[in-house]
Amino acid sequence: MTAFHLGYGTNGFANHRLDDALRLIADLGYTAVALTLDHHHLDPFADDVAEQTDHVAALLERLELRCVVETGARYLLDPHRKHHPTLVCDEPEGRIDFLHRAVRIAADLDADCVSFWSGIRPSDVDPDTAWRRMRTGVSMVLARASALGVRLGLEPEPGMFVEHLSDALRLREELGAPELLGITLDVGHCVAVEPEDAASCIRRAGDLLVNVQLDDMRAGVHEHLEFGEGELNLPGTLAALTEVDYSGVAAVELPRHSHAAPDVAARAIAALRDALVPVIPKTDDRDSEWVSKVDHPWLVEAEQRVRTDPTAIRTLFPAVGRKVGRGPLRPESDPQGLVHGTVDDLARTRLLAALAEVLDARLLGVEVAELYRYGDDAERRGVLRGLSALPDTVVSTGLDIVRDALRANDIRLVAAAMGEFAARNLDAHSWRHGVLKCLFVGVPLAAVVELSKRIDDELLRMVADYAEERRAAGRAVPADAEKLLEVGR
Amino acid sequence: MRIFDPHIHMTSRTTDDYEAMYSAGVRALVEPSFWLGQPRTSVASFTDYFDSLIGWERFRAAQFGIRHHCTIALNPKEANDPRCRDVLDVLPRYLAKDGVVAVGEVGYDSMTPEEDAVLAQQLQLAVAHDLPALVHTPHRDKLAGTKRTLDVVGESGMDPGRVLVDHLNEPTVAVVAGSGCWMGFSIYPDTKMDEHRMVAILREYGTDRMIVNSAADWGRSDPLKTYKTGLAMLEAGFTESDVDKVLWQNPVEFYGQSDRLVLDELPGFVASGETFAGNSVLRGGGSGGAA
Repeated sequence: MTAFHLGYGTNGFANHRLDDALRLIADLGYTAVALTLDHHHLDPFADDVAEQTDHVAALLERLELRCVVETGARYLLDPHRKHHPTLVCDEPEGRIDFLHRAVRIAADLDADCVSFWSGIRPSDVDPDTAWRRMRTGVSMVLARASALGVRLGLEPEPGMFVEHLSDALRLREELGAPELLGITLDVGHCVAVEPEDAASCIRRAGDLLVNVQLDDMRAGVHEHLEFGEGELNLPGTLAALTEVDYSGVAAVELPRHSHAAPDVAARAIAALRDALVPVIPKTDDRDSEWVSKVDHPWLVEAEQRVRTDPTAIRTLFPAVGRKVGRGPLRPESDPQGLVHGTVDDLARTRLLAALAEVLDARLLGVEVAELYRYGDDAERRGVLRGLSALPDTVVSTGLDIVRDALRANDIRLVAAAMGEFAARNLDAHSWRHGVLKCLFVGVPLAAVVELSKRIDDELLRMVADYAEERRAAGRAVPADAEKLLEVGR
Repeated sequence: MRIFDPHIHMTSRTTDDYEAMYSAGVRALVEPSFWLGQPRTSVASFTDYFDSLIGWERFRAAQFGIRHHCTIALNPKEANDPRCRDVLDVLPRYLAKDGVVAVGEVGYDSMTPEEDAVLAQQLQLAVAHDLPALVHTPHRDKLAGTKRTLDVVGESGMDPGRVLVDHLNEPTVAVVAGSGCWMGFSIYPDTKMDEHRMVAILREYGTDRMIVNSAADWGRSDPLKTYKTGLAMLEAGFTESDVDKVLWQNPVEFYGQSDRLVLDELPGFVASGETFAGNSVLRGGGSGGAA
């Protein structure tokens, strides 16, 4: 259903044996776990830690749970002082030693990463000193992580020295952007302390995300809440993870709910599943949930009708929007459906694929050309987006259609024309003009499939000239044009 | 005031009109396919026109926050030209489209036998496609033409509640009121109806089944006549809810019988002069060249 793995944090099962917690988590349908190393959950200081680690690794494998290692235990290192020592206190060695042990365990568990935070800056440590200690501490842990090939995830934590995503990103930059140093993002923290929402933070962290913690929170209050109790936009947040192609662990982080862990974890996965439905089709159309759940019964029947009577597509194709909905597939990031298309686009692609199964090359070409010729704006878009699902025998028909759409000024047609089919088949000259047209009419270049692969000097020259022309007229240069030119440099 | 203009030929209007309509409260409209002023000589120019009604014009209206629907038919004037008659064969393809909310404008121009046949045939298409029909009444010999129209509607077997008889005036309203069909009035600067005569008719006949439109096209006409009729109604003592009934609920009820009205606000629409990088309707960026 998603590219990323929904998990649950064992710190939310503090009153369970680790084995029991893992089994419960797997039974509820989670496919990952965020394992907080603690005195009773795979204690890194135990004499038999190697054996315990082997045991947990075997159990994770059996339960098919992916995992990340968390290091936020409260009294593991110092029974008197919560979270002590930290990377920014006067004697950070104990913390660094612990993180080294965590890296070893992560390597043995084949975990995605070790997640860690800075700790609270003591009042008698000035920020410069704390920053220096962070650099030193993280470098030491990185050295160990590099030796074992383990990734690290630095987590900005409310109230701690590295509090905001921007702090974490800056530290990473200062350390020379080490490949193994990524970001752990708690989406609730974004609500509590970040200047922008969780979805924006996810986009900002982008490729650097190695671990995600899921929970609700209210602005200004660092209290981990069950979904729905705070202000987090859960569907939008999950949609952003999909949008940035996040493929790691996204685990529920409710460390203060251990007293009712099984119930809380069951509620959490139900809320996540509900919120995930819209990751694909969240639209105003009540009928559109079919995209990620089950096939829409009308569409299934329509496909069957097309297979038995190919001419049925002539009346089914125009009816698609009325039957299955018209909303954008990813409304949070693409409200007009210019980049990812719409629910009806997707359904029309399915009908075209069914048509291709039953018609020979010549008849298929004729029918597709007619569907486009007699199509309204939505049907034409459906044909354009469906071209890549058709066999190569209709490439020349497809090219005629794409060229026609690129002469149009309806931005949805222009956007749909620059999809996968054009990326594969359109000649360089027409393709460059298509890209330029997108800039002209306001189609985001994200709609142009394989843009980075097909960029060439001639396109960059055209875009540079266009930017020059805009400047000469005293007009703003579209941000996408600037970005393209930057990439080209 | 929220306004649904149930009859307006936007193809002939400018973006200034769209802006003025939006600020007057127009949020949705129906553009009936009709004669373009210059007679057409082939089926192909009809299909290009229909394509525009379900494509470009819909897109253009959306840029201004207005939901665009249309009706499709061979109009009575061109029904007399044998070169155009074959358009009847392609109509089914268009009558299946989203946003096509009726068969229309059909009706009489000169009341020829050709017009008789084409009207009857297109009413059957409305029945077959489960669509209402928009019937135009002739400019000349109007009362006789209106009566004959009602006869043909009666023969077609269509429910009169699914037929809108348009361009009515004082002499023709009574027969249509008695037929059960919807009554349409086109408010014009100096022909057809004006807003004050319209108010008088509303006083006499009430607001049920009453539809008011601007029918603005390429001739001397005013796309804000719906709005001005609303003002005239208020001045004459009608309530805001009367105005809403005539200018919004009634056309929505009539065309809603198609099940193809889309009336929710356009996604991402912001009512401002800026649309794309300062270009109103996309002519191809700041260079001024056609894209």
